[in-house]
Amino acid sequence: MGVITSLDQLDLNATYTYADYLQWQLKERLELLRGKIALMSPAPSVRHQRISGKLHGVLWTYLNGNPYEVFSAPFDVRLTRQKNAEEVTTIVQPDLCVICDASKLDEQGCNGAPELIIEILSPGNTHKEMKDKFDLYQEAGVEEYWIVHPQDNNVLIYEMNEEGKFIGKQPFTEDDILTSNLLTDLTIDLKNIFAEK
Amino acid sequence: MPITSLDQLDLNATYTYADYLQWQLKERLELLRGKIALMSPAPSRKHQQILVNLLLQIGNYLDGKSCFVYCAPFDVRLPINRGDSTEYSVVQPDLCVVCDEDKLDGKGCTGAPDLVVEILSPGNTKKEMKDKFNLYEEAGVQEYWIVDPERLHMLIFELNDQGKYIGKPPITKGDQLETPILPNLVIEADKIFEKV
Repeated sequence: MGVITSLDQLDLNATYTYADYLQWQLKERLELLRGKIALMSPAPSVRHQRISGKLHGVLWTYLNGNPYEVFSAPFDVRLTRQKNAEEVTTIVQPDLCVICDASKLDEQGCNGAPELIIEILSPGNTHKEMKDKFDLYQEAGVEEYWIVHPQDNNVLIYEMNEEGKFIGKQPFTEDDILTSNLLTDLTIDLKNIFAEK
Repeated sequence: MPITSLDQLDLNATYTYADYLQWQLKERLELLRGKIALMSPAPSRKHQQILVNLLLQIGNYLDGKSCFVYCAPFDVRLPINRGDSTEYSVVQPDLCVVCDEDKLDGKGCTGAPDLVVEILSPGNTKKEMKDKFNLYEEAGVQEYWIVDPERLHMLIFELNDQGKYIGKPPITKGDQLETPILPNLVIEADKIFEKV
């Protein structure tokens, strides 16, 4: 079989693994959710990227000098840690993620669940972020999942409880200072994050 | 002198329910801990479609049962805990379910409904997610649902044993919603977002 360079060569209803994914040479960005191809939005909006950049900056500053690390998309996360690429069926590219356990990092990205994942909504991907990935992140044991709403200017934070379920906190609005149980002492003034510049 | 225009009111002042009852305004407003909060002008079609869809589901279910369902405009007075004084916030939730008939009178509902649903309108997210969220939590509204008519999802908050809201997984397309307040009712998310 020839090299896969176009989406047309793939079957959107088929089930693929990380071993397949590694061989594709596509222009499009995509994720693999339980083996199924999920196309990603085309280049995100200015607003999306501005928010992503600011959050990355705040988190980088906060994490500087400690072993945790923040990464932004495109960055491949294999949600469940496996030895063989054939066993990995979920690969996501979260907008931002924080990895507290450096042993999860290898040359290809993150092998295992990041401790914190942040997704910034784009038009049309709400269902994927709030349902498909919500369930996947919960199952994989991501400790905190932040969903940022760039139109309504708020952030939803879900924290993992002792039963392994995500519990939502009160939404943070643009007037609030965001705090996190995972990243203690972190404070993010959301007014700055949602400001136009 | 009767108050017939917003100009006669001070948006920074603190008012009471007694004041509110005397106003004869064209505008709809709420009184959140004594402060005037203006309501959006006529809501969007999507907003109203979701409201109708929810009302149909819940209304049909409640036919022959003892709980009541109301939609806005409908005054709900929530006691503000300030020592012994009985002062109220006055809110007009998009939809509420009240299972204790004693809370109802000719003017609306006094005390916490069992369920409140707010459907977001442009610009009111902060009010619904912060000011009213806190009021509903404090007053003991058992469940608070926030519907986003643009992105078609719902956030469900439930009071825990400590009287604090905890968020359940968001409800989106394809999901089913169940609540102990309306036992045996299964609401399909697709029905809520139908024709939107």
